Amino acid sequence: MNKRILIWILSYGILTVFPFLIPLFITGPYVTHILILTVMNIILASSLRLINLSGQLSLAHGGMMTIGAYTSTLLVVKLGLSSWVALLLAGLLAAVIAGLVGFPFVRLKGIYFAIVTIFLTAMVTLMAQQWRSLTSGSYGIYNIPRPDPIVIPGILNITFTSSVNCYYLVLVIMLVSLIMLYAIEHSRIGLTFRGIQQSDSLAESVGVNTAGLKVLAFSIGCFFAGITGGFYSQYIMAIAPDTFGFLFTVYILIYMTVGGSGKFIGPILGAFILTILPEVMRPLKQFQPFFFAGVLMLVIFLMPEGIVGLPGRLKTIAGRLFKEQQERA
Amino acid sequence: MLKIEGLTKHFGGLAAVSDLDVSIGPGETVGLIGPNGAGKTTVFNLVTGFLRPTKGRVVFEGKDITTKKPHYLAGKGIVRTFQATNIFPDFTVLKNIVFAHYLRPRISFWETVCHTQSSRRKEAEILQRSHKILELVGLEPVAGTTAGTLAHGYKRLLGIAIALAAEPKLLLLDEPFSGMNAEEVGTTMQLIDRLEQRGLTILLIEHNMRAAMNLCQRIVVLNFGKKIAEGSPEDIRENKEVIQAYLGAGEVIA
Repeated sequence: MNKRILIWILSYGILTVFPFLIPLFITGPYVTHILILTVMNIILASSLRLINLSGQLSLAHGGMMTIGAYTSTLLVVKLGLSSWVALLLAGLLAAVIAGLVGFPFVRLKGIYFAIVTIFLTAMVTLMAQQWRSLTSGSYGIYNIPRPDPIVIPGILNITFTSSVNCYYLVLVIMLVSLIMLYAIEHSRIGLTFRGIQQSDSLAESVGVNTAGLKVLAFSIGCFFAGITGGFYSQYIMAIAPDTFGFLFTVYILIYMTVGGSGKFIGPILGAFILTILPEVMRPLKQFQPFFFAGVLMLVIFLMPEGIVGLPGRLKTIAGRLFKEQQERA
Repeated sequence: MLKIEGLTKHFGGLAAVSDLDVSIGPGETVGLIGPNGAGKTTVFNLVTGFLRPTKGRVVFEGKDITTKKPHYLAGKGIVRTFQATNIFPDFTVLKNIVFAHYLRPRISFWETVCHTQSSRRKEAEILQRSHKILELVGLEPVAGTTAGTLAHGYKRLLGIAIALAAEPKLLLLDEPFSGMNAEEVGTTMQLIDRLEQRGLTILLIEHNMRAAMNLCQRIVVLNFGKKIAEGSPEDIRENKEVIQAYLGAGEVIA
């Protein structure tokens, strides 16, 4: 038992420490940028999975990121707030908006919920384009300051002028997010979400406020989208209305589905592989939507549980082959 | 305990239930029978808040509960089972029951997410109670099985067990015996008997006439949404209108 715990701690420790060491070996602004995107996509796909856990397919992540990005930007640029407070408020505002629109939204089930969330993303983009006095319209906002330095006099002085430090920052955000998402999923709330996914009328009949909990799942998921959007605008130092559009949102969904939404590690794997892979095939970048569509279709037809379902599937196939061989012998 | 007054539900032009009056006293077992499409399940949906009545009132323990939501009513002690989707197929049998302990004891969001001492104590309590319920309904041997892979009779029993875990005062059973073989019907009848002895109030929809006649002290017969008879099983058995409407003219039941 003790040995198992030790192995568990070691493996997770290595998994946690490893991403922090990458910039020591591979450097360059391009690689760092890809790493940051990967980590962001992991947060996004994992938080989308929490919404999915309660049986809802949300395509509001792009809209929520836009809300988060503009909120944090405007708070910093117009009100001069600390970037950290702005980042937190960005997440909270996304969660509150998700909570408000959630109540009418969750009355719709399945694909109908997905459709209204697409509209939400489209509406947020439109608003950012049209509300010129606030958002400066389609031009977007430039020269957004990087996150404020963390200073503890005499001990610590971390500035975020370098991309590598931004990478460390988003990595920390990711770790905290994943720990929170994991804690929620493995709590009774997570159990309730999964029950609602299987049969919401049965859950309702034993006393679960299914509408309220669906809104809660939606709201928590959107919180992380808001934070990620806020971070991205601070890192890129610019934001435009269509930065996180419909296609971007669908990509998050693809990361989750390809990785496998059944397990916690699924969206992490999916986001990792599908962010790195297109970069390796850089010359074909313009065909990325086609590539993703192809991958998605292959995964849906060949391994409906996603990449995380692959070992189990191979096992059954291997078992079947083995059995056939035995029968022949 | 439960009083249904002038309950009416229209679906478009169709009156699924019209002007129904039923009252159930504490500890009573009442059967709701009638041919297919008579509106029995609609009555269940109206009482448990899954549907809103067009007219009429539902009163539970002296309070009007007509427009309340199902989860609120579960909290008040009105719990139902379903004819079709009655289990969480991806959970194990034990987890199904653990899930159904959602309200009692209530674990708050922060308690469970932060995995506090109090939440662990409550979880342990829930686990213990879940095993007790599984023993009561006889599902303890399959506690670790994924619910979706159970045999049909077991699934039906699990449906009842889930409802029991929510600690009802009034239990509404929607055709608990449907699709069961004779032996399973026997076990389930014994179970419902035991629940009656514990003082649980039960409203039962049933097609299996023998089971309904045996279990219920009083039977209400519906046809085309209207109550056509009410009385003891003996009265119902001899009621001409009931025999005409439900059992078919000239047929005799065992």
